[in-house]
Amino acid sequence: SQGLSSAKAAEILVRDGPNLLTPPKATPEIVKFLKQMIGGFSILLWIGVVFSWISFGIQLAQGAESPFDNLYLGVVLALVVILTGIFAYYQEAKSTNIMASFSKMIPQQALVIRDGEKKELPADQLVVGDVVEIKGGDKIPADIRLIFAQGCKVDNSSLTGESEPQSRSCDFTHENPLETRNIAFYSTTCVEGTATGIVINTGDRTIIGRIASLTSGVGNEKTPIAIEIEHFVYLVAGVAVSIGVLFFIISVSMRYKILDSIIFLIGIIVANVPEGLLATVTVSLSLTAKRMAKKNCLVKNLEAVETLGSTSIICSDKTGTLTQNRMTVAHLWFDNQIYSADTSEDQTTQPFDQSSPSWTALSKIVTLCNRAEFRPGQENLPIMKRVVVGDASETALLKFAEVILGDVMNIRAQKKKVAEIPFNSTNKFQLSIHETDDPNDKRFLLVMKGAPERILERCSTIMINGKEEPLDSEKAEAFQTAYMELGGMGERVLGFCHLYLPENEFPDTYLFDTDSMNFPTSNLCFVGLLSMIDPPRSTVPDAVSKCRSAGIKVIMVTGDHPITAKAIAKSVGIISATSETVEDIAKRLNIPVEQVNREATAAVVNGMELKDMSSQQLDEILCNHSEIVFARTSPQQKLIIVEGCQRQGAVVAVTGDGVNDSPALKKADIGIAMGIAGSDAAKNAADMVLLDDNFASIVTGVEEGRLIFDNLKKTIAYTLTKNIAELCPFLIYIITSIPLPIGTITILFIDLGTDIIPSVALAYEKAESDIMNRRPRNKRKDRLVNEQLAVYSYLQIGALALGAFVTYFTVYAEQGFLPSTLLGVRVNWENNAINDFEDSYGQEWTKYQRTYLQWTGYTAFFVSITIQQVADLIIRKTRRNSIFQQGLFRNKVVWVGIFSQIGIALILTYGLGHVTALNFTPLRFQYWFVAVPFAILIWVYDEVRKLFIRRYPGSK
Amino acid sequence: MARGKAKDGDGNWKKFIWNSEKKELLGRTGGSWFKILLFYVIFYGCLAGIFIGTIQVMLLTVSEFEPKYQDRVAPPGLTQVPQVQKTEISFSASDPKSFELYVKNLEKFLNDYKADQQTENIIFEDCGEAPTDYKERGLYNDAQGQKKVCKFKREWLENCSGINDPTFGYGYGKPCILIKLNRIIGFKPKAPANESLPPEVMAKYHPYLIPVHCAARREEDAEKIGTVEYYGMGGYPGFGLQYYPYYGKLLQPRYLQPLVAVQFTNLTYDTEVRVECKAYGQNIQYSDKDRFQGRFDIKFDVKSS
Repeated sequence: SQGLSSAKAAEILVRDGPNLLTPPKATPEIVKFLKQMIGGFSILLWIGVVFSWISFGIQLAQGAESPFDNLYLGVVLALVVILTGIFAYYQEAKSTNIMASFSKMIPQQALVIRDGEKKELPADQLVVGDVVEIKGGDKIPADIRLIFAQGCKVDNSSLTGESEPQSRSCDFTHENPLETRNIAFYSTTCVEGTATGIVINTGDRTIIGRIASLTSGVGNEKTPIAIEIEHFVYLVAGVAVSIGVLFFIISVSMRYKILDSIIFLIGIIVANVPEGLLATVTVSLSLTAKRMAKKNCLVKNLEAVETLGSTSIICSDKTGTLTQNRMTVAHLWFDNQIYSADTSEDQTTQPFDQSSPSWTALSKIVTLCNRAEFRPGQENLPIMKRVVVGDASETALLKFAEVILGDVMNIRAQKKKVAEIPFNSTNKFQLSIHETDDPNDKRFLLVMKGAPERILERCSTIMINGKEEPLDSEKAEAFQTAYMELGGMGERVLGFCHLYLPENEFPDTYLFDTDSMNFPTSNLCFVGLLSMIDPPRSTVPDAVSKCRSAGIKVIMVTGDHPITAKAIAKSVGIISATSETVEDIAKRLNIPVEQVNREATAAVVNGMELKDMSSQQLDEILCNHSEIVFARTSPQQKLIIVEGCQRQGAVVAVTGDGVNDSPALKKADIGIAMGIAGSDAAKNAADMVLLDDNFASIVTGVEEGRLIFDNLKKTIAYTLTKNIAELCPFLIYIITSIPLPIGTITILFIDLGTDIIPSVALAYEKAESDIMNRRPRNKRKDRLVNEQLAVYSYLQIGALALGAFVTYFTVYAEQGFLPSTLLGVRVNWENNAINDFEDSYGQEWTKYQRTYLQWTGYTAFFVSITIQQVADLIIRKTRRNSIFQQGLFRNKVVWVGIFSQIGIALILTYGLGHVTALNFTPLRFQYWFVAVPFAILIWVYDEVRKLFIRRYPGSK
Repeated sequence: MARGKAKDGDGNWKKFIWNSEKKELLGRTGGSWFKILLFYVIFYGCLAGIFIGTIQVMLLTVSEFEPKYQDRVAPPGLTQVPQVQKTEISFSASDPKSFELYVKNLEKFLNDYKADQQTENIIFEDCGEAPTDYKERGLYNDAQGQKKVCKFKREWLENCSGINDPTFGYGYGKPCILIKLNRIIGFKPKAPANESLPPEVMAKYHPYLIPVHCAARREEDAEKIGTVEYYGMGGYPGFGLQYYPYYGKLLQPRYLQPLVAVQFTNLTYDTEVRVECKAYGQNIQYSDKDRFQGRFDIKFDVKSS
C-alpha cells in the first residue's frame, strides 16, 4: 500500500495533535508552595506575624523605646513558618510525578509507510491512518489494527496483566478490542515476529491513554495520618484561638491597652502552637520509611508509612505476590498413586519415592519430550534460578528433571532425537522419538506428553510398577479420579506415555517422517501424570495468618481461573482450611446453590458475576464473607472492588504490577507496587514499592505502620504537655501582672530547639505489646489525638509544670523580689521611665536591670521546662506499661534526646547567654535543680496512673 | 456525601451536648462529671499545696534583711526627679500648668526630706555638714533593732529645695532636677581617684564625696546649657559617703538617700537641649546597654511663651 500522503498526514496531525500522552494539569509549583505556607498551624503563626508587625508599627509611630522587639518577633515567626513550609514542600516534591513514567514508555521511532515510501519517523508524528511496520523487539507506536502478521507475539502484561505473550494475527476474533487478536496496543512490546498495521488511535485516545487519564482522574485520597494530623491541628488551633480570644477579651476588659492585648494574643498563639511538631512528625515518618526500606518496603509517600498500619483490607494480586510466579511441578501420579513434589523456592532434591521402575520410565519421558533448554553458562547458579529458553510448563519440567536426575542436557545428548512433533493446539500433544543409550537395545523410544485425556485416548496399556498392564475401565477410572483431583487443586495437568518401537519394524536406519507420521501414535503405554502450579511463596501462609491475627482481611484479586485461585487461596490460608464457599456447602449437602443460606464465610467471585452485580450486592458480599477471592477479574473491576471495600469504611491496601493496576493502586488508600515485576506506571501510581515482590514484606510494613502510629501518639502527648507550661506564664502574667515569666522567643527555642530531638527519639520506641495481635484501628474512633490524651497532657501533666514557676519565683526572690512584691507590678515594671523601681528590700532597679532579671527569669523558666520535659520524655516512652517493664535503656535514642535537650539548654544559657536578642542569660547552676523534684513528681504520678490503668483496664 | 456527613455530625453534636437516653451532658453523666470535678479539685488542691509549700520553703532560705544575690542590681543606677516619660522635660515658664506635674513630683519626693520629718532622734542622727567616711552600723539583722539614718537637710538644696520657690525654678524658666544614686543594700560607693576625673569635675573632688556632674550630651549643645548650679549636702555637688551603706527597708525604713539638686539657670529656650548627668566613683560604672547605670540623660525643651 501507499500509506498516507505527507500532506494528508500533516492535516490529520493538526486535527488530532501529536501522538503523545498529555500530562495532567499539574498544580503550579508556586501554588503547592503557597499551600504549604498557609497549611496547618502556619495560618495561626502568620496571624502572629501580622500582629507583631502591626504592634511594631504602632509602637514606632508612638516613639516607644524598644519597638524592635516586636519586629524581631515577627521576623522570627515568619522565618519559622517559611522554613517549616519549605521543609514540607521539599518532602512533597520528592514524591515523583506519575505521568513521568507514562511518557517514558513512549516509543521513540516508528517505521511508517508514507507516500509509498518507508520512513523512520518520531512516534509522536504518527496519525490515524498511518501504516506502520513492526518487528520483534519494537514498542508498538500507537493503537494499531494489523493487516499483516507473521508469527507476531506481543507482551501485553503492562496493559492487561497477562504475563504470557499473546499471538497477534489479522483475524478479528472478539468484539472487545482488548480481547481481539488483530489489535496491538500503544506502549506494549512486540516480542517476536513481524506485522504491519494501520494506526487507529493516537495519543490520549489510545487504550493506555485512557488508563492514564483514568489514573490521573482518580483523586488521591487523603491518607489516614493526614486526616489525623488535620484533626490534631484543628484541635490545637481551636484551643489556641479560643484561649487567645478569651484572654484578649479579658485583658481588654481589665483595661489593658489594645496594643498590649494584641501582644498577649501573639504570645498565647505562639505558646499554643507546637511549631516543631509537624516537622517532627515528618522526620519520624521518614525514619520509619527508612527502616521499612531496609525490609524491602520502599515508601514513596511518607504518610503511607502509617496508612499501612491502619490497613484493614489488603487486596492482593495472586501472581508474583502470593506466588513465586513460575510454574513448578507440584504433584505426580504413577503406579495408581499421587505423589507430592517439593515446590519451595530453594529445592535441591525431591523427597518422593523414586524407586519404582515406573518413575524411571516417566523421568525419561519428562527429560526427552521437552524442548526447553538452559541458557549456557549458568552451571554455578542454583537450578531454580537458572534462565531457561522455553515455555512455562516445559521450564518447570526441565528444572524438575534437572533437580532429580542431574545433567539433563547430557542425558538428552546420549539419547539422540531422531524425530519430533512440537506441541500444537489441534493435536494437543508433543512427541519425539529417540535412540536409546543402551548399545544392546536397538529399539527406538517414542515419548509423548500432552493433555491427559488426549494422551489416554492413544494408550492401550498402562504401566504399573514397571509392568505394562492392559488399560481396563477400572484403571481408566483411577486415572480419571487422579486427573480430577489434581485439576481440582487448580493445577495444570500433563499426561505422559511412551512406546518402544519394535526393532523389526523400525530398524535403526528407518527414516521417520513427521508429516506423514509413519510411526504408531496409538496403542501406547500410559506412564503417568504430572501436575504443575505456580506455587505460593513459602513465606506467604505465615504472613497471611499474621494478617489474620492482626485483624486484616486479605482478599485475593486475580485474573486467573477460579479453581486455581481458590486452590492458591486455600494453600496460603486466604481461605482457611475449615471454611467453605456456598458452592462447597451445596456440594456437601447435595442441594442447589440457591438453597444455601448465607452461612458460608468464604466466597469465590468470578469476574463475570461481578460484572452483573450492583454495588449493593458487592457490598453484601464484602460484608458477609471474611474470606474472599475474586477470580477472572479485569483491571476495571479491581477498581470497583477497591471502591466497594472503601465503602465499608475500610482502609484498603492494593497490590499490583501492571499499568492496568494503576487506577486501583491510586484509588487505594495505599497502593503497593511490585518492585521486580511491576511496571513503571504501577510503581508511580503506588505509594509503596515492594522491592522483593513478597507479600510477607507487607506484613512487616503493617507492623512498622502501627508502631509509628503509637509512637506519634507519644510524640504528640510529649509535645502538647509543655504547651501548658508555655501558656500558663502568659495567662498568669495577664491576670496577676507579674513580670513575664517566659518570652515568646524563648518558647520558640523550646519548641524548635530542645524538644525536637527528644520528640523524634520517641519514634524509635519499641512496641509495648504485640501490636500484631490488635485489630486495625478504627479510623473514626481511634484518633491520633483523643480527648483523654489532650486532657491528660493539658490538665494533669501540664499542670505539673508548676516547677517552672517555683524556679521563676526563686530566681526573683533571691535577687530581691519576693513573690508578694511581684503581684501587680507589671505596669511599673515595664515602664521605661521608671529607673528606680523598688524591690522587697528597698533597693532600686533601673529598667535595664529589671529587664535583665526578667531574661534570667526566662532562662530559669526555660531550664525548668527542659528538666521537666526530660521526665515527660521518660513517662511518654510507654502508655500502659511501667517504665521498668519497657526498660529505660532499650531505646538509646531517647537518651540521645535527653542529652541533646540538656546540651542545647546549656549552650543557649551559657554559650549564647550574652546575645541580647535571644533573651538568654547565664544562670546560676543551682537553678537547674529546682525543678528536679517536680520532674520526679511527674514521673511518680504517671507511674501510679499507669498502674491504675493496668489494674483496672477499660474504665473511663 | 459531604452534606450527609455534616448532618450526621449535627445530630452527634446535639446528642453529645445532651444525651437524653443516657442522661449524659457533654458525654458524661452527672455522677461522672461530679467525680471528674472532684478529682480535679483534689488534684489542683494538692498541686496548689505543693506549690505554696515549696515557695514557703524557698522563702525560709531567703533572709528578710538582705537579698541573697545583688549581681543584677549593682552597679547602681543614677536617676532623677521629676520622673518623666521619654526623659524629656518640656514646659513653658509662663504657663504653670505645663510644669505642674514636675513640681508635684518634686514636692512629693521631697516630702520625706522636710525638717519636721526628721525630728525623731531614735531614728535620725546628724551626720555633719561635710562628707565623711562610711557609717557602718553593724550586721544586717535586727539583733540591735533598727539602724539609725543620717539626716539630709532640705535646705541644702537651696533654690531647688522648694522652700522659697514652690515652682522649683520652673516658674522662672530655670528648672531644677534632683539626682540620686539608686539604693543598693550594703553598697559602698568609692570616691573617684583624683587623677581619673575629667578636668571639669576635678574641682569637685573630695575624698568622701561621689561627685555629680551634668554636661551637654552633644558638643553643639554645650553653649545652650548655660550655667549649671549644683546644690548638695553642705554645698558639695555630690553624695557624701556617710550615707552609705544602706541597710535595707526593714532596718532603715526611713532612710534618706543623699541628693544633689541641679539647676539650669540659663538654658536656651525653644530648642531641645540634651544633658547628661554622671556620678563619679571607682565602683560606679557605665554601660552602653543600660543608659541609667551611673548616669542618665535628659532633654530640656523650655518654651519662651
